[in-house]
Amino acid sequence: MDELKVNNKRIILNKIWSDYSVGVIFILIVITSILIKGTDFFSVTNIANIFRNNSIVGIIALGMTFVIISGGIDLSVGSQLVGVGTIIILILESTSGFLHPIVSSVLAIIGGLVMGILLGGLNGLIITKGKVPPFIVTLGTMNIYRSVAQHFMRGGGFSTKNTTYIGISNYELFGVIPLPIIYFLLLAFMMYVIGKHTKTGRYIYAVGSNEKAARLSTINVNKIKLLTYGLMGLMVAIAAIVETSRMGSINPTSSANYYEMDAISAAIVGGVSMRGGKGMIVGTVFGVLTIGLINNMMTLIGVPPFLVNAMKGIIIVVAVLLQKKDAD
Amino acid sequence: MENIVLEMRKINKSFDANHVVKDVDFNMKKGEIRALIGENGAGKSTLMNILGGVIPLDNGEIYIDNQKTEIQNPSSAKALGIAFIHQELNLINDLTVYENLFLGSEILKKSGFLDVEKMCEKTKEVLELLKINLNPKTMVKTLDASYKQVVEIAKAIMLNARIIIMDEPTTSLTNVEIENVFTIMRTLRNNGVSIIFISHKLKELISVCDSYSILRDGMLVADGNMEEDKMTEVDIARYMVNCSTQKDTSYRRREIGETILEVKNYSMEKTFSDINFSLRKGEILGFTGLLGDGRSELFQSLFGEKRGAVGTIEHKGKEISIKNTTAALNAGIGYVPSNRKENGIIKDLTIVENLTLVALNQFKRKGLLDHKRENDCTDKYKEDLRIKMGSKHNLITSLSGGNQQKIVLAKWLEANPDVLILDNPTQGVDIGGKSDIYSIIFDLAEKGISIIILSSEAQEVMRLCDRMMIMYHGFVTGELSAEEVTEEKIMILATGGSLERVN
Repeated sequence: MDELKVNNKRIILNKIWSDYSVGVIFILIVITSILIKGTDFFSVTNIANIFRNNSIVGIIALGMTFVIISGGIDLSVGSQLVGVGTIIILILESTSGFLHPIVSSVLAIIGGLVMGILLGGLNGLIITKGKVPPFIVTLGTMNIYRSVAQHFMRGGGFSTKNTTYIGISNYELFGVIPLPIIYFLLLAFMMYVIGKHTKTGRYIYAVGSNEKAARLSTINVNKIKLLTYGLMGLMVAIAAIVETSRMGSINPTSSANYYEMDAISAAIVGGVSMRGGKGMIVGTVFGVLTIGLINNMMTLIGVPPFLVNAMKGIIIVVAVLLQKKDAD
Repeated sequence: MENIVLEMRKINKSFDANHVVKDVDFNMKKGEIRALIGENGAGKSTLMNILGGVIPLDNGEIYIDNQKTEIQNPSSAKALGIAFIHQELNLINDLTVYENLFLGSEILKKSGFLDVEKMCEKTKEVLELLKINLNPKTMVKTLDASYKQVVEIAKAIMLNARIIIMDEPTTSLTNVEIENVFTIMRTLRNNGVSIIFISHKLKELISVCDSYSILRDGMLVADGNMEEDKMTEVDIARYMVNCSTQKDTSYRRREIGETILEVKNYSMEKTFSDINFSLRKGEILGFTGLLGDGRSELFQSLFGEKRGAVGTIEHKGKEISIKNTTAALNAGIGYVPSNRKENGIIKDLTIVENLTLVALNQFKRKGLLDHKRENDCTDKYKEDLRIKMGSKHNLITSLSGGNQQKIVLAKWLEANPDVLILDNPTQGVDIGGKSDIYSIIFDLAEKGISIIILSSEAQEVMRLCDRMMIMYHGFVTGELSAEEVTEEKIMILATGGSLERVN
């Protein structure tokens, strides 16, 4: 009996570790940061900076979390962002002459959201109807989306002078909290609710864990997959709105490079299983923050810039080594 | 005595508490074809896996050419000249015939490149021995099933095999193809190769085999010479099932209502043909047969999981079409699949989450899931179905097989189906769990749910069902009522025989 208790305790500890390890890692890194840099690190502006710099990739990582949990992957998010950003700037600029800036901004936002859902949905359609592996489909659309945007913009960037639109991301609540942080946290809460407390969320986990059993439990697997890619597109569109308003411009060649890899990294560090079926939005949020924090620390302590990515790579591998270990 | 090639003495093997092979003696002469016969679970595969080095034996002795030997793994079996041709052929479809034959033992030129010509030449020699005209450079995927079987046999000859185990080689073959394979088997025998032939088709066994060994419940119950003993299909079937087995008493008589489901002329190419049956309210209808009888495919397509079937399905007198699993649910048809681990449970979800998956719409409130109702529902089933579990928020994989199966069952009960299809409901469930599941099934039928049981265990369908349909190669070969059924009759129908011969 005693043995059983000890065993149970170990199972519980294991579960806590496998579910919350990213939180533990995050706290460890925070403590180290404070030890090394003390108050410099802890300043409000620095913290706000970390959050703001990572909110765009963070929003994308939220969508990516569901895509990976459902058993898929989306490599095209960076290119989707460029596609959406291009539409947004085109709408802003073509309507600036005769529409009120607010109306123009609203139109651009609606156009961007629709575009995002279309681009994401197209991925989902090819994956479900064409039965092509998600890696291949999104590898293709990664090239297509960006290249078409480059063609429309003739390779260069475009900017907007619509101050209402630029205000969307360049305004600080109470003078300290940049709005992108608020967007990221609100969306994270929304996605958490979807994942934990809705039928759709439950189905996403079921499909990613065991597609056949899910179908035999009368779940419309294709519908769920399509939905995760559509939701991914929606997240990308919101990220694109934040990005274009922060920069006031979009450049199909140089904007949003490697966002797909950053979003996937955040999800993985956050404990999302590449095999599908496992992961949590809360984990991804911590994953985003952990990677952001490390980037920030490396700048603060003056790691040579070319080595920053190496550190990021090490963190990804170490985080995954520390997690998981399913026994199957 | 004559040339004894193989002698297996007092072989024993247990899996956990399950003693599957008990003191079995098995002997082979040089140049004979011996039938190894038994029901599913009689111990044939285990015995052959021991001989093939796939699993170790617990105790017993194996002699080859009167030399005591130990077979530790498949490659030592190969070295002893034992070739195991599995039911699912181990050929690589995208390679040619000669590439398959030399896979892993390719002939190289001095330069280190492949010596294609030499390999083709050798392949030709072997094929000529088998009197088969086949280009060594043919792609395996273009060959039909019997030729693939031939390539496997050629592979065995290439290894200088003296003993070839053929596990149900004919299940996917047409009659003409079967004759081809038999001719080759006879040629091999005349050249001194010994063949162990496993098949459920009794007629075939009698026509091609010289001798037989029959297993039942892990024990050797009969062996001898096919011709001398004048064996018939009926004789073999009698040995396979224990004639003295009393009928189990757990069958409960019930009130049975009007017809609820009627299936007419239901067919699917290459899988099942012209299936007709009806199911009444509160009735338990069994479908049984041997491997490859098409019953699982039949009900997967009735449930909308497999496509391409034609025919009519009437539910409460109204014709319905079932395009996908959701449509089946809407028509009130539930399906508990076989292979629980692959098809039944979702391993990353908790017990509660697995249980409410099918009927999740019922647990919604204002668009969100009502976790309290989910928990209450789980508690209810825990009580009703006597499910043993720790916390209901543990992963479903924390439960034993029988309790997992009860959760899968509960998942469907919560959706209130009026027809429930159970495919191998007690697969991998221990004896206690089995009788629990049986009594749950009777309770459900008493409540008016119509139940279809698919099972390869004759005893199981006899214990549960009011009526049973027996299938063989996609056809229903007979229908038996609870009163007239015997295990022997099931076995004869399931092996493609007809009942007139018994009487």
